[in-house]
Amino acid sequence: MKIAWKEMKKNKAKFLILGSIVFLISLLTFIISGLANGLSDDNASLIKDLPDGQFYMSEDAEQTYNLSSIDSETQEEILNKHEDAAAFSIQRGFVNDDADKQHGVVFVTSTESDFFENVKKGEIVLDQSLKEDGIKVGDTLTNNQFDDEFVVKGFVDQKKYSHSPVAYINTEDYQQMYRVEDMQLIMIPDADDSLSFDGLESFSNKAFLNTIPSFSAEQMSLNMIVWFLVVISGMLFAIFFYMMNVQKIGLYGILKAIGIKTSTLFKMMWTQMFVITSISLILSVSLSQLFNSFAPDGMPFSLSMVTTIQLAIVFFVIGFIGATLSGLQIRKVGPLQAIQQGEV
Amino acid sequence: MSIFEIKDVRKSFKNGEIEEEILKGVNLPLQKGEVTALVGASGSGKSTLLTIAAGLQPASSGQLLFDGKNLTDLNQEQIRQIRAKDFGFVFQSSHLVPFLTVEEQLLLMLEVAETTLSKPEQKKEIDKILKIVDLEQRKKAYPSSLSGGEKQRVAIARAIIHQPKILFADEPTANLDSKRSKEVMELIRELTNTLGITTLVVTHDEEMLPYVDNIIKMKDGIVI
Repeated sequence: MKIAWKEMKKNKAKFLILGSIVFLISLLTFIISGLANGLSDDNASLIKDLPDGQFYMSEDAEQTYNLSSIDSETQEEILNKHEDAAAFSIQRGFVNDDADKQHGVVFVTSTESDFFENVKKGEIVLDQSLKEDGIKVGDTLTNNQFDDEFVVKGFVDQKKYSHSPVAYINTEDYQQMYRVEDMQLIMIPDADDSLSFDGLESFSNKAFLNTIPSFSAEQMSLNMIVWFLVVISGMLFAIFFYMMNVQKIGLYGILKAIGIKTSTLFKMMWTQMFVITSISLILSVSLSQLFNSFAPDGMPFSLSMVTTIQLAIVFFVIGFIGATLSGLQIRKVGPLQAIQQGEV
Repeated sequence: MSIFEIKDVRKSFKNGEIEEEILKGVNLPLQKGEVTALVGASGSGKSTLLTIAAGLQPASSGQLLFDGKNLTDLNQEQIRQIRAKDFGFVFQSSHLVPFLTVEEQLLLMLEVAETTLSKPEQKKEIDKILKIVDLEQRKKAYPSSLSGGEKQRVAIARAIIHQPKILFADEPTANLDSKRSKEVMELIRELTNTLGITTLVVTHDEEMLPYVDNIIKMKDGIVI
């Protein structure tokens, strides 16, 4: 007989309250996780979209990419050895549109590579967020450090760096604007940290992301909130089932006296935890995915189904641990306690 | 014929530094199909003896012989299996599961006892027992809607649905008025006879004694 289900059916209000709290906490966790990921994309999608490998910058730059400068000899040596490798530079700047309106961008240029937009001299490819600002293909853009004009050749989806839209330009144009010959960075796909070069410091993708100003601080704060909420939900399960178990000690004792196995009582509690968590998570996952589809354009929100499922699994695990810890008292209940207690 | 035998059972509790002996070598054979009442003043050790006999707490020494086994030699799981299949319990309070209907309480007991009955046979058995305890009409009722007497009758039905060999009843009429108490004792008496159960009942109510076969008086941890 489904004793766990019978109890839930009879005490709907009690379980509905727990379910509602789990639903709200999990929804909040998904939303904050979506915001964390959205902000992360907004801060570094340019880097996040690159394949796993190693990034290199000059050692004397002290982990600050825009102070890095890799001499052309080293660059050539590495690029010749590693076909997929690309050298690239990133610099903050701005462009003025036809109406002389200024737009903040991050100029990116690279050697020929499949991972970066290859742009001809005088052309520019922009992140699509600038399209929403009214810039169209064929528009001409100017920059006070650039003698010529940029012609907009196209837009790319979600390519941002340090919360600014990326503007891909040709290397020659870049060198003219910033009066530098050397590239700042080299990226070698599929390389591991065993691959080192004299005078260059290597970074994994994750380590390189952390060199972006504010990236790690921003992500750490949001991830801390996400995990804090996950822990709270675990504690909530523990407290709820502890309170319920305290109320039911007499009942557990009598059930044990008539011969019910302790494992059956645990299964009863786990079933209840599983049902409540499942219903709450189905609702919160659906709602958060709906929010993902309809989030306002200006809001950096990105919640993938994989992240949602991973978090949902964590909720199940933490709920299971919380309920089990509180259920340890069931093991201690002796049948005799029930006889010594009053009506349950 | 003795179906259950309590042999030289002793039970001591430590009260601080002092060791208090509650049972001082009790011997008691229970005859098949008979109701045996344990009577005595409060603190005489009668409830302790019943709970030890029922395998709800261990004895300090002595033997509990049942079905060719000495219960004091068995582990917790073996004792649990005996409690589930061969013993039935009725307590002072009915201790019904608050979220199960009368019918479900009995169904749960059949499951715990791992009976081999099919679902229709289980239903039939439940109807039969509910008829005996006169609760056929309350089959779908929850404990909260039952009177004290009805609850205790459900508890008795739950204690015997799996056809135990021994029924242990600890003050089963303590929370009932005189009329209901007599009804419950009549029921226990009748079931013992018709189902061939052996019953050990603890009571301090002398009005219940006409319904029992044997009266065992206890005082200060010994049978007098």
